[in-house]
Amino acid sequence: MSIDITGVTKTYGDFVALDDVSLTIPTGQLTALLGPSGGGKSTLLRVIAGLETADTGEVTIEGVNATKLPPQKRNVGFVFQHYAVFKHMTVAKNVAFGMEIRKRPKDEIAARVDELLKLVHLSQFSHRLPSQLSGGQRQRMALARALAVEPTVLLLDEPFGALDAKVRKELRDWLRRLHDEVHVTTVFVTHDQEEAMEVADEIVVINEGRVEQVGSPDELYDEPANDFVMGFLGETTSLGGVLLRPHDVHLSLTPQEAGAAEGSISRVLRVGFEVRITVLTDDGDEVNVLLTRTHARQLGLEPGVRVWVSAASGATTVPKMAAAAG
Amino acid sequence: MSAALSGATLDVGRPVPDDGGRPRRARRTKPRNTLTPGAGLGLGIAMLWFSLLVLVPLSAIVASAAAGGWANYVNVLTDPQTWNALKLTVSQAALVTVINVVMGTIIAWVLVRDRFPGKAIMNVIIDIPFALPTVVAGLVLLALYGPNSPIGVHWAFTQKSVALALAFVTLPFVVRAVQPVLEELDADVEEAAASLGARRSTIFRRIILPSLVPAITAGAALSFARAISEYGSLVLLSGNRPNETEVASVRMLSFIENGSYASAAAVASIMLAVALFVIVVLDIVQRRVSRRG
Repeated sequence: MSIDITGVTKTYGDFVALDDVSLTIPTGQLTALLGPSGGGKSTLLRVIAGLETADTGEVTIEGVNATKLPPQKRNVGFVFQHYAVFKHMTVAKNVAFGMEIRKRPKDEIAARVDELLKLVHLSQFSHRLPSQLSGGQRQRMALARALAVEPTVLLLDEPFGALDAKVRKELRDWLRRLHDEVHVTTVFVTHDQEEAMEVADEIVVINEGRVEQVGSPDELYDEPANDFVMGFLGETTSLGGVLLRPHDVHLSLTPQEAGAAEGSISRVLRVGFEVRITVLTDDGDEVNVLLTRTHARQLGLEPGVRVWVSAASGATTVPKMAAAAG
Repeated sequence: MSAALSGATLDVGRPVPDDGGRPRRARRTKPRNTLTPGAGLGLGIAMLWFSLLVLVPLSAIVASAAAGGWANYVNVLTDPQTWNALKLTVSQAALVTVINVVMGTIIAWVLVRDRFPGKAIMNVIIDIPFALPTVVAGLVLLALYGPNSPIGVHWAFTQKSVALALAFVTLPFVVRAVQPVLEELDADVEEAAASLGARRSTIFRRIILPSLVPAITAGAALSFARAISEYGSLVLLSGNRPNETEVASVRMLSFIENGSYASAAAVASIMLAVALFVIVVLDIVQRRVSRRG
């Protein structure tokens, strides 16, 4: 059930946007398609919506084979990065559009518009034109417009990408709460791993047209399938042939653990409560270590001090590949 | 002048702070004089140039027409030949403007949305009817639709020829007005409408057309204004037959040739009123339609 994508390939000339992608997106959940720009995640979303047609492969939405259906017949709600507002219509008219197309009775439309505008906190703006709203308000209107047709799935393409950092964070929390209320199967595209980890129930990491890993935020963070996923979800540093997080490096002034690498501190950078330390090991590795301010002060760390570094017990590590991690 | 003054009014389109509190109403203040010395000089130069070129000559026409009093107007209008010329001019210009609104929008659509061989050439050729000296336009049309028509269509010296010539010279106006607006339309707006269930025809009628209406009416106003003032291409093609194919500008010329300046000025001021009326009506139509959605 839910959304099933099987063997979808899409090319633009020589460029392979999607390379034999197969994926199942569970019903009622909030799923993030995460990956770098140009990795194919937006194309996949547009294929699900029917705004692009796949060269090969099938898309099934809630058991209905949608591969050949035009976007009008798929009953999906789509929210665009740049809002795609109907400029000449008021906020209420924008939201009502899909229901008017479906020829619902007037009073039903009015009631539903009212309810949706309340949901997105835009009730008092119903008679405004979109040009009189801020970016965050326009995107909420676009969301209400997409929800108005009671879509089987809600698709959001970088929905907060055009907003400034503060509004983006607010809307992110708000989307999460909205989803907890509405429970519609939601897929959103983002290149911001923090956004994906914070909002999504499940994350699909996509790179170069392929699915790298599917899992919950914790699974992805704790058990990355490869160095790409590891690198994309957060900072990494390499130590003795493995990749690990800088805060997972154990640093001591005496050799405490077998296999710890000896080296000297080359740089100490303090940012607020964090201290970022660069250690040059005698084996030639440059290891980044993240400590709290208190911990660093206890150890009396400064450039030139001899230290031993090793992976802390329980650290997530991934073998380092020849290719550099993204 | 209005552009200089509108700086004093509040920008109504400004985004409003998020939620909370009552919606702030944009106040419309009375235009104040906010001109700096530099802007004052600019406004002065603009107004002087505009007056010399447009306001003074137009006032002169109205004044010289009015010098004859109402009797002059009544005389001119009750002369059947003049009345027929005015009627022909306005009706044919209106007809051609309606044709241009439809055809011009279609041509602009094809030029922006479709890909076909020869598109670039067509894009350039569109302007030729406008760039050509109008007498040459008349010649061209006479060669094709005149007595020696190679395709057997003998429209010259009939009322059809008037519409034909007007359509020829006013072709680019709507096309050129609509084209850039159509190019600027966001594809995702149409995609949003499609995913909400709207068919192509509905998307065109409810999403695209309202965005084009300001451009279409602007093109229509230009096209109408150009059509009622057309002279060159009609001289050859229409034959200037009184009561049949004689247009207002030709009628005015014959008044002037007979030394009847007051009558010419009366016809001119009537045409001026018609042009003004049509431009205002189109502006109102544009405001209505682009709001409706």
